[in-house]
Amino acid sequence: MRKITILVLSLLLSVTVSSVFFSCSRKAEVKQIVLTMGSWRADDVTQMNNLLAEYKKIVPNVDIQFKPTNPSDYNATLRLQLDSGTGPDLMYARSYATGQELYDAGFFSDCTNIPGLLDNFSETNRAPWMTKDGKMFAVPFAAVSHAVYYNKDIFQKEGLAIPQTWEDFLSLCSTLQKKGYTPLANGVAEEWDILECFFLGGIVPNFVGGAAERVKYEKGEKKLNDTDFVAAYKAMADVAKYCPKGYESVTYNDSQVLFNTQKAVMFMDGSWTAGVYKDAPFQWGVFAMPAPAGRKTVICFHPDMALTMNTKTAHPEEAKAFLAWLCTKEGATTASKNLPVGYFPMIKFDITLEDPHANEFLALNSGKETDARFVWPALMDLYSPMNQAVIAVMKGSMTPQQAADSVESKKK
Amino acid sequence: MKKGMMVSGKYWLFYLVPALFFYVVFMAYPLLDSLKLSFFSGNTIGSRTFVGFDNFITLFTDPDKSTRYWEAFIHTCIFFVIHMLVQNSLGILFAVILTDRTMQHRDMYRTIIFIPTTLAVLITGYLWKLMLNPVWSGAMLEKIGLGFLAQPWLGNEKTALPLVALVSCWQWVGIPTMMFTAAFQNIPAELIEAGRMEGASSWDLFRKIKVPMIMPVVGMIAILTFVNNFNAFDVVFAMENVNGAPAYSTDLIGTLFYRVGIAGQHPVGIPDTGLGAAIATITFIVLCAGVLPTLRKTQTKEA
Repeated sequence: MRKITILVLSLLLSVTVSSVFFSCSRKAEVKQIVLTMGSWRADDVTQMNNLLAEYKKIVPNVDIQFKPTNPSDYNATLRLQLDSGTGPDLMYARSYATGQELYDAGFFSDCTNIPGLLDNFSETNRAPWMTKDGKMFAVPFAAVSHAVYYNKDIFQKEGLAIPQTWEDFLSLCSTLQKKGYTPLANGVAEEWDILECFFLGGIVPNFVGGAAERVKYEKGEKKLNDTDFVAAYKAMADVAKYCPKGYESVTYNDSQVLFNTQKAVMFMDGSWTAGVYKDAPFQWGVFAMPAPAGRKTVICFHPDMALTMNTKTAHPEEAKAFLAWLCTKEGATTASKNLPVGYFPMIKFDITLEDPHANEFLALNSGKETDARFVWPALMDLYSPMNQAVIAVMKGSMTPQQAADSVESKKK
Repeated sequence: MKKGMMVSGKYWLFYLVPALFFYVVFMAYPLLDSLKLSFFSGNTIGSRTFVGFDNFITLFTDPDKSTRYWEAFIHTCIFFVIHMLVQNSLGILFAVILTDRTMQHRDMYRTIIFIPTTLAVLITGYLWKLMLNPVWSGAMLEKIGLGFLAQPWLGNEKTALPLVALVSCWQWVGIPTMMFTAAFQNIPAELIEAGRMEGASSWDLFRKIKVPMIMPVVGMIAILTFVNNFNAFDVVFAMENVNGAPAYSTDLIGTLFYRVGIAGQHPVGIPDTGLGAAIATITFIVLCAGVLPTLRKTQTKEA
């Protein structure tokens, strides 16, 4: 009996002591604030942790934890978290309607008066996260670009030059094919890549035009089956024969392997792939998909990620301070250094990137107009119809005119 | 012992509790909840509103959505028919061969037939995807003089669905083979013996004695095939994509449901759980309508 009493007493004592001790240690670090950050970039944990560690050096009392979800689950998961009040303090915001929906629902904070946001980002770069009345619901973070990856070794060996017009590009493909190469690595099996990388990333900006033209289609002033669009679909039909034999069943991963193993000479793709070829056993570079003769080459420089804060965060000041830091030259530079290769800062300042291929991508922008992917800003409903139309044209089951008509008929 | 006898009336009920608990929590409740969901709109608890039969009406009246649904429905039927014809016929054939008295190395063949069943669909699907892709298998096929087989089978709208179904048959043929083998082995030897004495040929024995004796198993397998194929999703997911590429030609009810109700259509990715639940509810009704009569017809003979 006595033993038990002693045991109970000593237990009680240890609990009290430890709780006193614990509360003391808590008091000592009372200023330590933990913020969580939601994201769909599950691949970037290392890079983001580096970035957040850099921030902690500047603001030691704020600890930001990066908690990404699978890309395909992000929208649904975030929505669920926000609805149940367990949303992250800071989070990635999708561009255009998908992001704005969450602002309208009252989850994303109004970021308009974050210092530096309005001054340090151009109107074009802010547009994807701007409401109709000019409010900003996120801080632009990174954009992706699109270009033709090409095998420099083979170009050099065969004495080929970078094409300046679309017509040049086709004859380049034909030359390569005659010499026994597979000119392009692109395939259609996975569907999204042929639309996002090839058609929207390379063809539409050059055959249809940049933002000024895009707006006319959005307003209905121009039809999606006009001659420009028919020509764009025709371009897809023209390149089909330069894709790998059996391109109908070539997936995105297959395309990467074909390019990386030098089985295909060129690959029209997004900048986010650049990291994949960092150990490639050959020299490679990128060039802008050229416009047809007489038109200006336009680059698809797509606003992809932005950061915003939760309206219900317990630490609005700290969250806001982090976003403001991203709007400074210092913050943006640190962020850019820690972004994966192929993601580009959107801030006005000149930021030198370290990766040579990333710089090569950025250099393509100089002197050229850039725009987001055609359907993103206002015509997202047309994504699937356009995707099917592009593939049908390539396979020859639709004429370019029929393809353009099928997309126009789906416009609401 | 005595105590056990005393409560003998009801004590077995306790043994059901664990199974019943898991069944209710993980099967019955989610099923009922999903039926309920089909009458609501909105993705989260907070935004959910009762909309009656609106989800069902949208599914069948919206031209885009109903086209997708009916195409998926037809593809699922084709997928099921191919399994019934190929997988289950092969299952009977293999079982007959495996139970034949003169058969040598029975265990080895049985293992070979059953191995694919034990592998993950994502892996076998991916392997077949590579083998059916001319980019990877073309060179090898040409070397052995079968160059004409190097076609983009999975990229052609006409061949994609049958091939995906055949890969699934290849994978699962072990199950009916096992069940039929067991059924054939359960037929009393005296019956066969008696048939032989009466001068029945092998075909007569098969048709008049063996097949009637395994009818309950045939019914069971038909039901299993039906249920599994109307819920099929993984093989298409592994070999094509969630859109049922190319041009929706391999879009099954399973993939349509995943796209609508769970993942949302790429690239926006906002799912419509209500509409998804409506698709699931219809599938549930179709399954019940198919399973119950089959059960009644084939299982009464047991008694």
